[in-house]
Amino acid sequence: MNKLLISLLIAAGIFSTQSQAFNLGKELKKAAQEKIEEVKAEETPAPVEASPAAPVVTPVASPAPTTTPPQAAPVVPAAASAEAPAPEKKQEFNWKNPSNEEEVALGREITGSILGAAPLVKDEALQKYVNKVGRWVASQSERADLPWKFGVIESADLNAFAAPGGYVLITKGLYQKLQNEAQLAGVLGHEVAHVVKKHQLKVLQKQQLLNAGAGWLSDKFGKNDKLAKKALANGAEISARGLDKEAEFEADRMGVVLSSRAGYDAFGLPEVLQSIGQTNKSDNSVVLLYKTHPAPDERLAKLGDSAGSKLDNVKAGKTLENRLYKLN
Amino acid sequence: MKNLFLLLLCAPLLALAGQAGTALKADSVRAEPYADAKTTGSLNKGDSVEILTKKGAWLQIKSKESAGWVRLLSVKRGGASSGNTLGGVADIASGRAGTGKVVSTTGIRGLSAEELKAAKFNEDEMKKMESNAMSAAEGEKFASAGGLSKSNLAYFKGAK
Repeated sequence: MNKLLISLLIAAGIFSTQSQAFNLGKELKKAAQEKIEEVKAEETPAPVEASPAAPVVTPVASPAPTTTPPQAAPVVPAAASAEAPAPEKKQEFNWKNPSNEEEVALGREITGSILGAAPLVKDEALQKYVNKVGRWVASQSERADLPWKFGVIESADLNAFAAPGGYVLITKGLYQKLQNEAQLAGVLGHEVAHVVKKHQLKVLQKQQLLNAGAGWLSDKFGKNDKLAKKALANGAEISARGLDKEAEFEADRMGVVLSSRAGYDAFGLPEVLQSIGQTNKSDNSVVLLYKTHPAPDERLAKLGDSAGSKLDNVKAGKTLENRLYKLN
Repeated sequence: MKNLFLLLLCAPLLALAGQAGTALKADSVRAEPYADAKTTGSLNKGDSVEILTKKGAWLQIKSKESAGWVRLLSVKRGGASSGNTLGGVADIASGRAGTGKVVSTTGIRGLSAEELKAAKFNEDEMKKMESNAMSAAEGEKFASAGGLSKSNLAYFKGAK
């Protein structure tokens, strides 16, 4: 937990010096300390905060003064924020508690940026096939209502990506390693789990709060929608940075369960991890994967420890090797 | 017992015969692929094994000291010094030997962190991705076409 915040601090520091060309150093640290408390508080049900990201622009009806110093985000009771005029609210990006629509908008930005680096494989049958498998696996999750979208991207890397709101990408390199549909379901299940648990969203929220705490962003950009844009200017950056180990282990556990719930052999994901583990670590195709994920052996061992005897009698699912769409 | 053996032979098992494996952790080796089956031996972390077959959550293995069934997640494929340069056993088994190596032999760079950071939003590709999305009903139809049926399995907690 602390580790994550520290790394975020570092990341925030790097961005600010790069994009703003002045050193925030101490001020950022101080502001971040204050914000860390808020982030902690956020994890337990707390009063709704109005426009935490950009205190400069507050709803007209809000009791907070419009000239609030950016360092002090106004805290208003839930009732007061509910009274805020709807049109004003629409223009804000609610970082504190984004709606599904806002989450999808965020994920669209991130995913669109990854697609800018690596376009979809030009094979509509493949794309539709992956969407069918993914959609079915996602339907077994707690967020079946999201508009799930899946894609295979043109990259020889072994990797897969998820973004808030139900966006999932798998590289062609990883797809080509798959031996059956259950393995595809396992990989997609891992990514679906990231979305269900809002892993990326939480990282972005914390980063956003740190930025808001530093004040400079508010001064520079003012409006909330701009703030959202700014946070997403490095859209795919979050995918390059990765999540903490625990989030990956959790997604592994859930991926196994989700694919099993969908009727697939539960061990598709472990098999893929086995297969990735046999790729030379220095191979270019796994550089980013190893940078952003724990080593496959560690993931397998952790999964085994966590599962204990819980999968001993799991229903034998289908592997459907014959249905796996073959890429030319 | 004999019948069970025959059944095992006939079952559509993943062909793993003779594949090398390594124990990821210490675990019991059992006479049959069930948790309450008789223990016939044990594996220590790092032990080399030969993987014979897979059945559900279990792998049938042979090691120097013991033979029998062990939890699938306790064994990884490949030797102790996995991550070899010869390409994975899985690649060979699937007839895909070399696909993963194209990258390193031709020098094509992988998708790097820098590339992702520098990437610009691509609206056309996003529209394409959106156009391929499936509804929950389409997913369900696809599942039943493949004979997939839902089952209940609770999430399990992480180990320390």
